[in-house]
Amino acid sequence: MEALLRRRAVYVCQSCVRSARQPLWRNYSSAPPRPDIYDVVCVGGGPAGLSLLTALRANPITSHLRVALVEAQDLSKIRSWSLPPTKFSNRCSSLTPSSVKFLEQIGAWEHMARDRVQPYQEMQVWDGVSGARIEFDWAGAAPNTGTTIAYMTENLNLTSGLLKRLEELGGVSTFDNARVENITHGEETEELDLREWPVVQLSGGKQLSARLLVGADGANSPVRSFANIEAKGWDYNRHGVVATVELEGEGWGGEFTKIAYQRFLPTGPVAMLPMPGKYSTLVWSTTPSNAALLKSLSPKDFTAMVNAAFTLSTVDLQYMHTQKSGQEEEYSWRMEHTPVDHRAVPQVVTGVQEGTVASFPLKLRHADTYVAERVALVGDAAHTIHPLAGQGLNQGQGDVQSLAKTIEYAVTHGQDIGVGMSLESYVSERYAANHVLLGVCDKLHKLYSFGSGPLVPLRSLGLSAVNALGPLKTFVMNQAAGNGMKVF
Amino acid sequence: MRSSLLRPATPRALLRRPSQPPRRLLPLLAHPSQQPNPPPCRPHSTTTTSSVNETEISHFSSLASSWWDPHGPSRPLHLMNPHRHDFIRSCLSSSPTSPPYSSLTYLDIGCGGGIFAESAARLPATLSITGIDASPVIISVAKSHARRDPSLAQKLSYLNSPIESLVLPPVDIVTCFEVIEHVDYPSQFLGELIKFVRPGGWVVMSTIARTWTSWVTTNLVAEDILKMVPKGTHDWGKYLHEYELREWFSKENSREGKKVWGDARVMGVVFVPGCGWKEVKGSEKIGNYFFGVQRLV
Ligand SMILES: Cc1cc2nc3c(=O)[nH]c(=O)nc-3n(C[C@H](O)[C@H](O)[C@H](O)COP(=O)(O)OP(=O)(O)OC[C@H]3O[C@@H](n4cnc5c(N)ncnc54)[C@H](O)[C@@H]3O)c2cc1C
Repeated sequence: MEALLRRRAVYVCQSCVRSARQPLWRNYSSAPPRPDIYDVVCVGGGPAGLSLLTALRANPITSHLRVALVEAQDLSKIRSWSLPPTKFSNRCSSLTPSSVKFLEQIGAWEHMARDRVQPYQEMQVWDGVSGARIEFDWAGAAPNTGTTIAYMTENLNLTSGLLKRLEELGGVSTFDNARVENITHGEETEELDLREWPVVQLSGGKQLSARLLVGADGANSPVRSFANIEAKGWDYNRHGVVATVELEGEGWGGEFTKIAYQRFLPTGPVAMLPMPGKYSTLVWSTTPSNAALLKSLSPKDFTAMVNAAFTLSTVDLQYMHTQKSGQEEEYSWRMEHTPVDHRAVPQVVTGVQEGTVASFPLKLRHADTYVAERVALVGDAAHTIHPLAGQGLNQGQGDVQSLAKTIEYAVTHGQDIGVGMSLESYVSERYAANHVLLGVCDKLHKLYSFGSGPLVPLRSLGLSAVNALGPLKTFVMNQAAGNGMKVF
Repeated sequence: MRSSLLRPATPRALLRRPSQPPRRLLPLLAHPSQQPNPPPCRPHSTTTTSSVNETEISHFSSLASSWWDPHGPSRPLHLMNPHRHDFIRSCLSSSPTSPPYSSLTYLDIGCGGGIFAESAARLPATLSITGIDASPVIISVAKSHARRDPSLAQKLSYLNSPIESLVLPPVDIVTCFEVIEHVDYPSQFLGELIKFVRPGGWVVMSTIARTWTSWVTTNLVAEDILKMVPKGTHDWGKYLHEYELREWFSKENSREGKKVWGDARVMGVVFVPGCGWKEVKGSEKIGNYFFGVQRLV
């Protein structure tokens, strides 16, 4: 039966496309741009949008759908992206084993530069004020994933791999270097009533009619605005500072046992995530003014600040944020008076790669729903999360996997893939799961954002309690590794 | 209230001899209670002026405007629709002499607003589908709704025609969902319907068994207590047991003197509030069920 379903056929056939166009020509003598009819128009060629199109194209049941991609950036540059083995892009994500499994299923994983992907097996998390640590016995808790917690990957490695896989699959009408200028609804003619169909107007005049319009267009989603879906949330008044740094060695665990470190500072968490060799990627959530200072520092002083962030007391660190320069000297002086268990913190950072220090404002947003008539939102368009659990991109992969499955079910049962009814299972599968995670990360952020006061002893107690409570810890670990609860 | 509760158990229904198909068949969706907007149950209206009565036709015509509202009275039908396709697939794959799934022709009798007909037309494997319904109002709803999807025009056509005067070459699959319970003379109706099935093809129906459970859920609970279904939607006396349908087809075989019709396949489904329809083995004996039978020659 399945095999029979694989017969390729065009869901929106060319003659329908023609018949839909003709009346428009008839109605307007000034010959407006013709709308082109697609089953799926995906706005946004980031990790979420590219994965969705790849999943649809790779599945024989959905590969007959007529699909289009609209992306403001030049995709050919991303497809041919390459860097020498000693340079790493500053935008990295930790892909959970379930995201990786999905990427394998859709055939994208093998197109990525695998020597640039770094699995890690251990995680060290501690409270910067009280020093309390959460210990994770990953091997025992996540038996199905081997010992790998997650895979550090440059976002560009992922999107470039997805684009190569899409090129291999073919069949996507791609409009890159093209911005969405407006989204309207279709018209009614004698033969067709497309008043519920979104029509995407591109810079350059091209118009695309969509049976299903997918908003994979990031946090400021124009598709979400078109669908009148509100996204509620708040800004954290924090920026995420990222950078690619070089350490003195391959890490305390050597080449095969890589460790991710995260320290909760009163201004936000700072994380050091392993990349291949002696390299690591830094994600430091901090106040906008601290972020501005960090970006203004010389490489030497920046490096000293990163080392200080993992070793010095929060008071020392705070002081160093007030200096315009000279952090390198300040750090070495203060280190002489600070006892440090070196194996409990990342190896010493020796340098920062040029041009990799950047920062992004952090916010929490959750759309009121993920679907409207003939519209579905995935990835950051649907939810933006605090990066402390490294889950934003993984949530998007979870969305895409669920939406692709929903579309497959609709196709095999003759449902119109754009109508709300067909999309119901996507929302019910993803909304609650994403909401739990947004809430957990938000609360963690808030719990650790106080430098003193009653919450500090409480939370060190909390961390010890977490350590003692096996089941709760397993839950937290499953969240991070993306197995178990199926949240990602 | 009282008198309507009593209505179902008319002597006519109770006296029906089991060996004969009931005088009126009637299925309906037996789902007790549900979700936010529980609905009514009837989707498909009937088809033939002779076999379907005028009251039924006007009853369904009055539901026309809400036919495609996924949260309106037809929601159970929308939720039921994917199971129809699953059941058809299970019928086709159960017999090596079934027509190839890659190119099928359908006739949908009592197509209503086109929930099934549109979905069948969208399947890449469908060559063509004709939907017929006795209500001109509903056929116009179906036609107007089909204009919303450019992929349908080539494969889907609707006719406002009684089955008795329908002229159409036999097709691979004749479907008749939630209809037979609204027909006055089900035996005669089935006699007309089977003319349109070509050898190897299938008759696929759904309806509801006539049991105390179905009376309680559809007549008492759905109509009288919850009022989720407009009153008068169900006539319990018209409900049909699957064994009554099976007997009708085996009588056909005896009449023809050969095995024209294969062994029937049955799948019982139960409406679970909050989840939709679920297949439940054995539930065909008490409530909604699908029924499929293949024309062997
Ligand atoms: C500092 C930081 C660290 C992070 N770390 C992690 C991590 O460790 N792990 C993790 O999982 N996630 C992480 N994230 C989150 C992750 O980067 C995002 O969740 C992910 O990139 C979202 O992917 P997306 O495809 O949904 O959206 P985006 O990547 O934002 O892609 C949207 C695309 O749409 C295009 N677009 C937008 N508007 C238009 C328009 N009008 N016309 C045409 N095209 C348009 C854009 O050009 C863009 O390519 C981090 C985020 C930040 C800020």
